[in-house]
Amino acid sequence: MGKLYKILKYFFITFWAVFVVAPFLWALTTSFKDFNSVNGGATYIPWVDFEPKLEGWRVLIKSPANGGVDIIEPYFNSLFVTCTASLISIILGTLSAYALSRFTFKAGFVKNNDITFFFISQRIMPPIVLSIPFFLFLGAINLLDSLIGLIVVYIVLLMPIAVWIMVDFFNKVPREIDETALIDGCNPYQAFFKVVLPNSIPGLIVAGMFCIIFGWIDFFFAFILTFTEVQLLPVKIVALNSSITPWWSLSASALISVAPLIIVAFVVERYLSKGNLSGAIK
Amino acid sequence: MSKIDLNNISHTYNPKDTEPTYALNPFSMTWENGKRYAILGPSGCGKTTMLNIVSGLVRPSAGSILFDDKDVTDLKTEDRNIAQVFQFPVIYNTMTVFENLAFPLLCRDFEKEKINERVNSVAETLNLQSFLKSPARKLTADQKQLISLGRGLVREDVAAVLMDEPLTVIDPDLKFRLRRKLKEINEEFKTTLVYVTHDQNEAMTFADNIIVMSDGEVVQAGTPKELFERPNTTFVGYFIGSPAMNLFETEASSNDCVKINGTLIKTNTNLSKLKDKKIKLGIRSEFINLAEDQKDNLLSVEVDKVEDLGNYKLLTAKMGEFTIKSKINRETEVPSSDVKLHIPADKCCVYENEILI
Repeated sequence: MGKLYKILKYFFITFWAVFVVAPFLWALTTSFKDFNSVNGGATYIPWVDFEPKLEGWRVLIKSPANGGVDIIEPYFNSLFVTCTASLISIILGTLSAYALSRFTFKAGFVKNNDITFFFISQRIMPPIVLSIPFFLFLGAINLLDSLIGLIVVYIVLLMPIAVWIMVDFFNKVPREIDETALIDGCNPYQAFFKVVLPNSIPGLIVAGMFCIIFGWIDFFFAFILTFTEVQLLPVKIVALNSSITPWWSLSASALISVAPLIIVAFVVERYLSKGNLSGAIK
Repeated sequence: MSKIDLNNISHTYNPKDTEPTYALNPFSMTWENGKRYAILGPSGCGKTTMLNIVSGLVRPSAGSILFDDKDVTDLKTEDRNIAQVFQFPVIYNTMTVFENLAFPLLCRDFEKEKINERVNSVAETLNLQSFLKSPARKLTADQKQLISLGRGLVREDVAAVLMDEPLTVIDPDLKFRLRRKLKEINEEFKTTLVYVTHDQNEAMTFADNIIVMSDGEVVQAGTPKELFERPNTTFVGYFIGSPAMNLFETEASSNDCVKINGTLIKTNTNLSKLKDKKIKLGIRSEFINLAEDQKDNLLSVEVDKVEDLGNYKLLTAKMGEFTIKSKINRETEVPSSDVKLHIPADKCCVYENEILI
C-alpha cells in the first residue's frame, strides 16, 4: 500500500512537472530555430536535431531600421507602468482597506461591506464595458497614447484587487493589536505605520504579487488606449505576427515577458517557505 | 498611579435606537490609588466594556471619568497613560521580545538606559530574560501572554494596569505564581491593578475589592469578606462561593423569625415590615454545622449524601422540598439518622425581591 502510494505520488509529480515545464522547453528550443528547423517537423535537441540560430533573439533588440522589432522600449514601458500602477494601487488600496476594516462608515443604506463590494465590482464587469468610458475619459484629458494615461487606468483596475486582499487581511488582524498600540502610547497613525503595517507585510506581498501579475499581462487596455507613441510589451509581442509567423522571435519574446513573473514567484515563494505568510496571524 | 473616579458612567452600543440596550447601566465608583480590584461576573455582563471605557478605547454614552480629579473622559487612549492587557496574547510579531517590552517606553520617549533597566527588570519578574533576543512570534501562547503582561507592567507611572482575564491561556501552576507576582508588584510599586475575571477564586485571592457585575449592572462592590458574608443580592450569593449560598423560599413568621419546613429559624434581621411577604433566607454552607450543644435554630434533616472533597466534607441534606448544603470538617463523622444542623442567626441573610434587607 505504502509503496504503491509512493510510486503513484512520484508518477503524478513527474507528470505535473513535465506538464508545467514542457511549454517552456518548447519555447526555449523554438527561440533558437530558424524557418527551416521550425517547419521541418518536431525537433528538440540543439546541434543534434537542428542547428541553433540566434536570429529569433537578435530581431528583438535590433532597431526597426535594421529590420528588427526593438522590444526593449515596450519592455521598459511595461515595467514602468506595471510597477508604478501597482505601487500606487497598493498604497491607496491598503489605506482604504484599513479604513474599511477598522472604522464604520454609513451613508444612508451604504455601509462598509457595500463600499468594499463597490471596489470589487469594478472587476466583476467585463473589461469591454470599461473600454469606451476609458477611451473618452483619457481623450478628454489628453492622456490617450501616454504612459501616464495607462498608469491611471491600471490604478483603477488594480486597486480593487489590493483593497479586496487587504480588507480580508486586516479583518484577520486582531483589533486588539491596534488598541494595544494606542495604549502603549502611539497615536492612530503611529499605530498603523509602526505596528499594523509591519504585521501586514505578508498581505502586502500577496496583494503586490496579484497587482503585478494582472498589470503585466494586460493586453486589452494597452491595445485600445495606445497607438504609436507608446507601446506596452503584450501589444508589441502580438504585433510581431505577420503572414509568415515568426515562431522563433515569438518564443523568445514570450520567454522574456514571463521572466519578471518568474522572479516575482521566487520572491513570494521564499516568503512562503520562511513561514512569514502562514504564521503571521495566530 | 492615580485615583480613578467613575461618575454616573453608562454605555450603549446603539445610542440611536429609540430604546437603546445598555451594555453598562449607570454607576459611580472610585478606585483608590494603589489598590487591587477585581471585576467579577459572567460572560457578557459588561466587564470588558467597563475596562475599555477606563482605558479610553470606548467613549461612555454618559458620565465622566476622572484620573486624580482631572477629567479624562474626552482624552484619547494614547494620552491617558494607562496599561491594558487583553485576554488573548497581543504581540508585535515583527519585533523581538525586548522590542515588544520596550515599545510602550519608546513611544513615550524614555531614555535608553531607563528602557534597558525597566525591560530587564520586567523580564526578570516574568522569567523572560532568556528570550529577550528571540523574535516574539516564535514563542508559545503562554510566553506571548507574558509579553503582553510585561508590556502592561513596564511603565511604572501608569494610572492603572487594567487586565482583561489575562491568565486564561496560562497553565494553572504558572497562573498561581503570576497572581502572587502581580500582588507583589502591587505591594512594592503601589500600582493600581484592575483585574477582570469570571473566576471567583481568582477574584477572591487577588483583590482587595471585588466588583460583581451582572447584565450590565454593578451588583455589589466590596471586600471579599463582605461579598462572602453579606451578599447584596441572591445573584452575588449564588455567584460567589462554592457551593453557592443556600437559599430557601419562605415567609416571615414573626419579627425576626422565618419558617423553614415547619421549623422556626431566628435571624438578626428585623422582619416586622415583611410579614407574610415572599422572602428568601440565604446562608453559606460554610456557616452551617452539625448541631452539638445548641438549643435553637436547629433543622432536622435527612442526609442525602456526604462527599469527601479533600480538605472538607460536603454534606447534602434534604428537608421536605428543601435541599441544604453544609461544609463540615473532614474529621467529623456524620450520623446516619437524626441529624440536626445548626443555623447561626448572625450569618442569615434575608432577601426580598432578590435584594438583601
